[in-house]
Amino acid sequence: MKDWTGILRLEAEERDSRTVARNVYFQGAFKVMRPIYHDDSGQPCYYLLNPGGGYLDGDRYHLGISLLENARLTLTTQSATKIYKTPNTPAYQETEISLKKGSYLEYIPDPLIGYEHARYDQKTVIRMEKGASLLYCDSVTPGWSPEGTLFSYDTLRLRTEIYMDGELAVYDHIKLQPAGQPVDGLGFLEGYTHLGSMLFIGEKADAGLLDELYSAVHPEPDGVRIGMSLLNVPGLAVRILAHSTQAVERIQAECHHLVSRRLFGRNPSFLRKY
Amino acid sequence: MLSLLQLCDSNFPTGAFSHSFGLESYIQEGQVHDPATFASWLGVYLNQQLVHADGLAARCVFDAVQGNRPDEVWKWDRLLSVQNLARETREGTQKMGDRMLALIESMYSFPILSQYRQRIRGKASFGHPAVVFTMTGHHLGASREDTLVFYLYSVVVGLVQNAVRAIPLGQTAGQRIIRDVQEELPAAVDRILALDEEDFGVLSPGIELSQMKHERVNIRIFMS
Repeated sequence: MKDWTGILRLEAEERDSRTVARNVYFQGAFKVMRPIYHDDSGQPCYYLLNPGGGYLDGDRYHLGISLLENARLTLTTQSATKIYKTPNTPAYQETEISLKKGSYLEYIPDPLIGYEHARYDQKTVIRMEKGASLLYCDSVTPGWSPEGTLFSYDTLRLRTEIYMDGELAVYDHIKLQPAGQPVDGLGFLEGYTHLGSMLFIGEKADAGLLDELYSAVHPEPDGVRIGMSLLNVPGLAVRILAHSTQAVERIQAECHHLVSRRLFGRNPSFLRKY
Repeated sequence: MLSLLQLCDSNFPTGAFSHSFGLESYIQEGQVHDPATFASWLGVYLNQQLVHADGLAARCVFDAVQGNRPDEVWKWDRLLSVQNLARETREGTQKMGDRMLALIESMYSFPILSQYRQRIRGKASFGHPAVVFTMTGHHLGASREDTLVFYLYSVVVGLVQNAVRAIPLGQTAGQRIIRDVQEELPAAVDRILALDEEDFGVLSPGIELSQMKHERVNIRIFMS
């Protein structure tokens, strides 16, 4: 194993209609708290902590999440992931997720904040079996620089690959580089500052669900633009442009709610953090 | 070279006239309304979307065909499709690819093209105009650079024709934009040649959003 700044391994299985961890391991600047069962659904929620308080020059993080058949789990963070200046080497995070048949992972991290001169590279590879479901969220936000300007980060790059039964089914590549792009111009963020994404992959993601999501978030709230569409495989993507983290989170929460109702006929629990 | 020109003709019936790739959303929202605003949209579309997706894939497909590595061709065909999260645009592009393939097959016959056709029929591949165009350019003996510049030109001409109808712009204004953009194409090709494969498919959030939003547009003249 290369030198990782922080490692998390989490393998979960279903036992007596409850999901329990078979293997939890963390090391370095990653930590998970004991899981919380917010309700009687048997679905635990794990909170990921970065005790160091942020990602620094050359930091490398590795997450490995594996859900066995029919396991259900929520993974979130306890607070935003802060990327500070990286004068020499960009901070890097690699995530590998494996989802067996019938399993369901909700990955709902807090936003990523890029501060002045931050460079960050994230690579996420998700391997799903048919019959598994995934709700995957991301959001990218600019931190204020000491001079009070936004967009002072250098590069925030997030690559996501989702394989279904071994075939690449979704490829998403976000790369925001304010110095080299007219980042708030036409075709880019178009005057907005926050970019949120949500992918829901699974057999229950159909045109009917897309219509429900669309109706729930349209007309768009002030200061938010939302696009959504069906994917190549059963699944959908939601993209959000906004001016605040709260606005992105509100839309993601709304969509999470409807996805959860569609999957289990019940509302998700509020992810208490404070 | 004349044969490659035929593929760039806006009368070459691939169905490009039915797809605006999100431009119609910008027109309806008033952000694109005259030659200047259209030219800036076109510049972003060319230098972001086309360079990072179609262009880089075309370059790699050309090399793969040249080196007789068909599996790499199929890999790029899949990447082009799965990186496009906006359904209308993705499906429209696939249709155009399929259409272009059928047309070219009626004029030329070469093995990789037939294999592509069979894979698309068998749902093993998706179909994309950039892939078909590149295979054909290679078959006709064009260089990699020429194939890329002609491909970009063919897309740009199609988009300008659509803008002329939809905004609308005068034919003269349209031709002037085509002339101006010609100067940008060699630079776009240089950027494609300088990219790493890892740079593939960088998202233009605004353009993608406009493509997704187009699905919910009530009155439309384009299918995407």
